[in-house]
Amino acid sequence: MTSEVRRRVLSEPTIERLRLLRKKAMATWKVYRRNRLGMTGLVALLAFIFISVFAPQVMWVLAHIAGWPSAYGPFDEVATVGSGLPPTKDHWLGTDIRGNDILARTIYGSRVSLLVGLVATVVSMGLGTIVGLFSGFWGGWRDELLMRVTDVFLVLPWLVLMIVLAALLPGGPSVMKVVFVIGITGWSGTARMVRAQVMSIKNRTFVERARSAGAGDSYVVRKHIFPNVFPLVFANSVLTVALSILSESTLSFIRLGPDPTKVVTWGNMLEDAMTGHAFLNELYLWILVPGLCIVFVVLSFTLIGSALDEIFNPKLRRR
Amino acid sequence: MKAMTRMIIRKALNSVITLLLVIILSFLLFRLMPGNPINVMVPPDPRIPAEYKQHLIEEYGLDNPMYVQFFTYIKDALLLKFGDSFTDPGTSAMSIVLENLRWTLILAGTSSILMIVIGMAIGMASAWKRGSLFDSGSVAFTLFFYAMPTFWFSMMLIAIFATGLDWFPDSGALRFGTRPEWTWASFVDLIRHLILPAASLTIGAIAEFALIMRGSLIDVMTEDYITTARAKGLRERDVMRHHALPNAMLPMVALIAITLAFVVGGVFQTEIVFSYPGVGYLTIKATYDLNYPILQASLFLIAVIVIIANFVADFLLIMMDPRISVG
Repeated sequence: MTSEVRRRVLSEPTIERLRLLRKKAMATWKVYRRNRLGMTGLVALLAFIFISVFAPQVMWVLAHIAGWPSAYGPFDEVATVGSGLPPTKDHWLGTDIRGNDILARTIYGSRVSLLVGLVATVVSMGLGTIVGLFSGFWGGWRDELLMRVTDVFLVLPWLVLMIVLAALLPGGPSVMKVVFVIGITGWSGTARMVRAQVMSIKNRTFVERARSAGAGDSYVVRKHIFPNVFPLVFANSVLTVALSILSESTLSFIRLGPDPTKVVTWGNMLEDAMTGHAFLNELYLWILVPGLCIVFVVLSFTLIGSALDEIFNPKLRRR
Repeated sequence: MKAMTRMIIRKALNSVITLLLVIILSFLLFRLMPGNPINVMVPPDPRIPAEYKQHLIEEYGLDNPMYVQFFTYIKDALLLKFGDSFTDPGTSAMSIVLENLRWTLILAGTSSILMIVIGMAIGMASAWKRGSLFDSGSVAFTLFFYAMPTFWFSMMLIAIFATGLDWFPDSGALRFGTRPEWTWASFVDLIRHLILPAASLTIGAIAEFALIMRGSLIDVMTEDYITTARAKGLRERDVMRHHALPNAMLPMVALIAITLAFVVGGVFQTEIVFSYPGVGYLTIKATYDLNYPILQASLFLIAVIVIIANFVADFLLIMMDPRISVG
């Protein structure tokens, strides 16, 4: 896009804002790049995303290199149904109770596991941010009301809440339901954090200056409060993705996760492994590999999250 | 001091409201769940007369209209009466929950102390040697365990140390069929059963304390009074011990209270995997059995514990930090 065209499509202030945004992003990236652990996490996460996006292609390539009869899908019955089998030349990680190839399920499983983590995070961070923004901004009795509800969610054990919600929601186990349950049980911490941040910002001079210049509530929230809360919310979102992926595996562990015959996640692979008594039958890889995948994805999100925290919290930055 | 009293009263009032909401919610949530508790109480055996079933339904008041049940429950709950457990006729739910709570407190208490002490030690060392290989190494190492699903980590511990090496028992809080006694043998047995579940809870949570301690220390180290202390010619060790550490403790106190709710969540999973007879194990079982009295009593007690912990933390923070103004 030439600058001439750009000027015609976007207005002057928008261009200026984009330029500033880009400058800020570049500055952030420069600090981020120096963080050893943060970079490790980012590279690992990109690798997982690559595998999940190109799952069929990855399987195809592996099949050609290893000389398997075909590139297995996650639901293909390639072996005996009913009990897991140990690894062979054609099935590197063995097969599970459904007669599916465990390696194929692990590779395809990254898709829903990552997706559930991301979408559940959007739900819980969205809810938490909205509640926290309003609560902190309004103050007074509305704040009290919202905070009491938040407290109840903080005080009730989330595992019990999850079981009850999963039982209450209509329909059988599904990905949507899991996302909803994780989102609903996870927003209260965010709400508290955002509220505290909003309360510290709303009385600062620059907000008062905007008010005296005639800015209304919605303008102040959009232009002054939200942009100042956002970096914090963003850094926390990355950590919340990690927790959401863990929650999905926990839900599957207590058999409330997505249906393993329709959807593969690392969580419900572990559920299958337990049903198939993987330990008793000495099929260790069946339980180790999906578990370690969860560990490494969660770890990479956590590393990225703490690196971002170190950037957005200027006091932690190295001088 | 007057402002202080007012704040305490306000906080206490808020806690009472939260507790009331918990009491109401623990009625509504579980009654809405599909299923009928009577089917769990009475096994589907044709030899059991229908009158017995009817007798139980009436005894527990399950035939009353929902609003009558609700008000009876609220009235009793306010007097801390939660009724008899559905699955153990004649035994009050509260006494069962309290008995199980003992085990949870042993497990959660031991692990909390361990995770705080170990986490703080690692956090301090890594803040001190910031940017070194030890720093990033210890951060990565503790986060690795933090990233594990609690139940999966517990299963790994069982597979390696119980089934594999046979060093520790794989389930329960004591040898099957024994009760706790004040003898050395009973104590050793208790510890042997405690080590694996406590390890699964502790190791997973160390990262949280280590990272906060590290961040908080690094934060404090940039303050002017640290530079002043250094300029006075104090040794680095004294700067750390007398100037940096006391100030860095504030966020830790806040975290300890918040983490307690989190520890309760983790305890639930650990107790299930290890069949440890604590509140978590009991509550999850009660959720599936629709054992309302047990659920209501346990959620109430858990809420009370978490609220008290938060209360104490808030209070400590105010006492410790002169910058927090009350009013």
